[in-house]
Amino acid sequence: MPSESSGRRGGVSRRTLLKGGGVVAFGGLSLAALQLPFFEVQGAQQDPKLCTAPDVSAEEMQLIISNWPGYIDPRKNPNGTFQTFQTQTGITVAYSDDVNDNAEFYAKVRNQLGACEPIDRDMIMLTDWMAARMIGLGWIQPLDKANVPNLHANLIEPLRGRQWDLDLEFHAPWQSGLTGIAYNAGKTGEVRSFEELITREDLKGRITLLSEMRDTMAFMLRIVGANPDKFTDAEWENAIDRLQQVVSAGQVRAFTGNEYMQDLAAGNIVACEAWSGDVIQLQLDNPDIKFVVPEEGLSLWSDNMIVPNLATHQANAEQWINYYYDPAVAAKLAAWVNYICPVEGAREEMEKIDPSLAENPLIFPDEEMLASTFDFMPLDDQQQVRYEGDWSDVTGG
Amino acid sequence: MTRRTGGLGYLLLAPAALWLVLFFVVPFYSLVATSLFDPAGSDFRGYEMTYHWQNYTDAVQEYWRPMLRSLWYGALATFFCLILGYVLAYAIAFKAGRWKNLMLVLVIAPFFTSFLVRTLSWKLILADDGWIVDTLQTLHLLGEDGRLLVTPFAVVMGLTYNFLPFMVLPLYASIDKIDHRLIEAAGDLYANPVVGFFKVTWPLSLPGVISGTLLTFIPASGDYINAQLLGGPNQRMVGGVIQSLFTDANDYPTAAALSVIMMVGIVAMVLVYVRRAGTEELL
Amino acid sequence: MSQVAETSGAPAAPAPDASYDGLRLRNLTKSFGAFTAVDDLDLDVPRGSFFALLGPSGCGKTTTLRMVAGLETPTSGSITLAGQDITYAKPYKRPVNTVFQSYALFPHLDIHENVAFGLKRRKAKEVDAQVKEMLDLVELGVQARKRPTQLSGGQQQRVALARALINKPEVLLLDEPLGALDLKLRRSMQIELKRIQVDVGLTFIHVTHDQEEAMTMADTVAVMNQGVIEQMGSPADLYENPRSTFVANFLGQSNLIEGRITNRAADLVTVDMQGIGVSIPADRAHADGDMGWVGIRPEKVLIGEPGATLDAPGNTIPGGVISDVSFVGVSTQYLVRMPWGQEIQVFAQNTGRTRLFAQGESVELSWRPEYAFLLDHAQDATAGAQKDDA
Repeated sequence: MPSESSGRRGGVSRRTLLKGGGVVAFGGLSLAALQLPFFEVQGAQQDPKLCTAPDVSAEEMQLIISNWPGYIDPRKNPNGTFQTFQTQTGITVAYSDDVNDNAEFYAKVRNQLGACEPIDRDMIMLTDWMAARMIGLGWIQPLDKANVPNLHANLIEPLRGRQWDLDLEFHAPWQSGLTGIAYNAGKTGEVRSFEELITREDLKGRITLLSEMRDTMAFMLRIVGANPDKFTDAEWENAIDRLQQVVSAGQVRAFTGNEYMQDLAAGNIVACEAWSGDVIQLQLDNPDIKFVVPEEGLSLWSDNMIVPNLATHQANAEQWINYYYDPAVAAKLAAWVNYICPVEGAREEMEKIDPSLAENPLIFPDEEMLASTFDFMPLDDQQQVRYEGDWSDVTGG
Repeated sequence: MTRRTGGLGYLLLAPAALWLVLFFVVPFYSLVATSLFDPAGSDFRGYEMTYHWQNYTDAVQEYWRPMLRSLWYGALATFFCLILGYVLAYAIAFKAGRWKNLMLVLVIAPFFTSFLVRTLSWKLILADDGWIVDTLQTLHLLGEDGRLLVTPFAVVMGLTYNFLPFMVLPLYASIDKIDHRLIEAAGDLYANPVVGFFKVTWPLSLPGVISGTLLTFIPASGDYINAQLLGGPNQRMVGGVIQSLFTDANDYPTAAALSVIMMVGIVAMVLVYVRRAGTEELL
Repeated sequence: MSQVAETSGAPAAPAPDASYDGLRLRNLTKSFGAFTAVDDLDLDVPRGSFFALLGPSGCGKTTTLRMVAGLETPTSGSITLAGQDITYAKPYKRPVNTVFQSYALFPHLDIHENVAFGLKRRKAKEVDAQVKEMLDLVELGVQARKRPTQLSGGQQQRVALARALINKPEVLLLDEPLGALDLKLRRSMQIELKRIQVDVGLTFIHVTHDQEEAMTMADTVAVMNQGVIEQMGSPADLYENPRSTFVANFLGQSNLIEGRITNRAADLVTVDMQGIGVSIPADRAHADGDMGWVGIRPEKVLIGEPGATLDAPGNTIPGGVISDVSFVGVSTQYLVRMPWGQEIQVFAQNTGRTRLFAQGESVELSWRPEYAFLLDHAQDATAGAQKDDA
């Protein structure tokens, strides 16, 4: 498998590179602070109706996209989805893979979007919770339903009706994935549940959990008997206390981004919380690596295409969305990136490309598997700060 | 005449002063301001200045552990850097002869690769299935389940490794300046090599020791990459906490308060240290 | 080449080391790669003497000193001090102290602490009182709490001396101790050093390239050249009766005139010097073979008008012409061109008994035979003449 596809979340240093984002955000905060007499920082909430730019899609056949690294089939391939889109539509796409981390990307664009200034992008791809947050902040433009018929027709059922954007008014899933458990069958017995992962004595110090708060806390909430879709502060406290015990006991070796791939391959860990697409990559090298749908359920997430305020080529962005919701195109893409394809009918198209991939439940999960998925409750700004604060208290020792 | 030199003096000072204002005074002022914001603020609604001093007590209460750990790890790394760096700098200054320049280049050589890459390669070297751990296990220096990664050892070792050049270079500059005849004189005056070292070489190298320990301790205790890559959740240092408060939790007031506490704390420690070492000239 | 100082009357023959209470070097050799700095050196320094090791830079005198101090390890040979073999003893175990050329005062310690350094290392008692006494001896009592850099060169020199002297070493080594001082200060320090040496009665070995300094201060001077001792003796002996062209030229100035030895009698050697017969006492003749260099110090040469009766009953050399005159007050220095082309230096004391001669005048030279000396023709007549007046 070519290296370009070696992981949705790109380089190993994705979380360690946050520093840069923090500094940028902070620098912006500093200047903002100085301009105001009493060092106030104004709220970043905008009204997407007021913060718009004229759409020049018709005159300028261009589209500027920011995506995660390795998250598309090779762009130079003349028969790939990317080149085909350009030839079919005549739109020139400026594509950069500069999204390494949701929080980092947020820090990068916060000052502009928070002040209704353009970020010079027509489309960005962010994970559910961050997309939700930006939509909540009013930073995202609604999509014209008439321009994206494929989206409304072909989006798979489990990804519809999300609390933060019930009618797909603002977002379109690009790729989806499952958060579950990966383990090395050559080194340890089967790990069936998240509870096992965080309590089994033989796994002590040999597991990692994901450093994305929602990924891990969804399971912790399930373990304490709460519902991640809707939970109370008390339930949250329970869950975070439970995690604290686990960490203090030395069960967890690290909270990581997708560095767990190296650790699992190097034998530093024998099991971990993992994203499905990464596991497919690892299985190519080591068939002993297994992905498990934990007994607690399955966390299904998406990275979503959203159009930021003041984008000037929204219509072109909508063409892109509509194009990728064509099942044949979606199958081609899924064959390469190995994540869950959010497009209905792509499975049938995949049969033509690679039947073995069509059978892979980590790309085309069956109904039964998806029945047990859960979502993470949207958080308001206060909860966001408090829960993330609690989270970093635990993961930050 | 004096007037003109005075004016010229201020003019020459201007770039440095401007630099300081732009890159230290302004950000620090703003950092302190941020640390006093109402913690009820958020990106949605903005932040109000309420002189909320409680941010500080909250930060200390919540994060005293990683703060102390940072200082402790920083101090340990500085200590090991000093031991290793002194031997190295001494050897380069007095014993390397014509290899002096080559050895100095070798000391700096790691700087030519990225800090991250170097630290990550330590992760590979110290891996649980790596040969170092294997060897130590074979020699029963490490238990069957023993490991090096995700231990305070790995973090302190990483810090020591990464900051060693900051120690070696000032030490070298100091030791190299020592007149070798002074060491001969000490020997001539009945000081055996050990006594001679502590009575002559060591005190004369003190300026290097002090600037080396400062240059090592300050960034080492503020570092979080080593803790993040080589350590685990129980080895996180305060830099990592500040980072995640800033970028993940977006809790700017607490993050700023924590930064100010660390900064003031370290400056205070440095002042006491330098005063006790009797070299205020350095500051 | 083996030489023994004559001051204490110690037997010249090598005695068993244990019975000798001074410093004794035997077959001492030090090589740095292919370069031999000190070559098979034998030397006895009697206890209590002020001994000078004199030679141009690079002659091996400092290397010899450093071997005595223990700062260099000899390639071969031995060093004994008061009967003890110290050839390979560590420097800090030798009863030897050094006053370094650069003083090597500890810059981080004040004067008092510098002087106390050696005593403290040996856990001596009443250090403060001793230091105070020593600082008074070198007249630096009031400077005790200053740092070395706050003192003048002369004061620093005295601190270095005090720091070494306070330990009452068997041997005090002084490595060009006055080299960094200006001329006037050097003169007064020379007298001071000599006074102190007499007061404390220790053995001083003083290394210098300054022949005047060596002769002023030392009882015994050893002239060193290219790793070996050329000649050793009292300053007067070395000056009056040099045994080699190097010594003749390095210590003061000499006129060396080529001559053929015509007769060797028991007490007198006769030499045909450019057609003029001159005689030299046998004990001042150090030439083997037929040829030799007749040496005479410029101040021993008398100058007069042709035919005038001179005070010298010996050798008279006619036919000189004054080629240069310089009047320096106490004396007049002439250069006299001789018939065979050589220029002879003449220093005439300004006693008023003879008149001044002018350039171009014809003169006659003469000297008393007992002042002349005869050196081996195989030696270079200009050896040691290039005075580096550093």
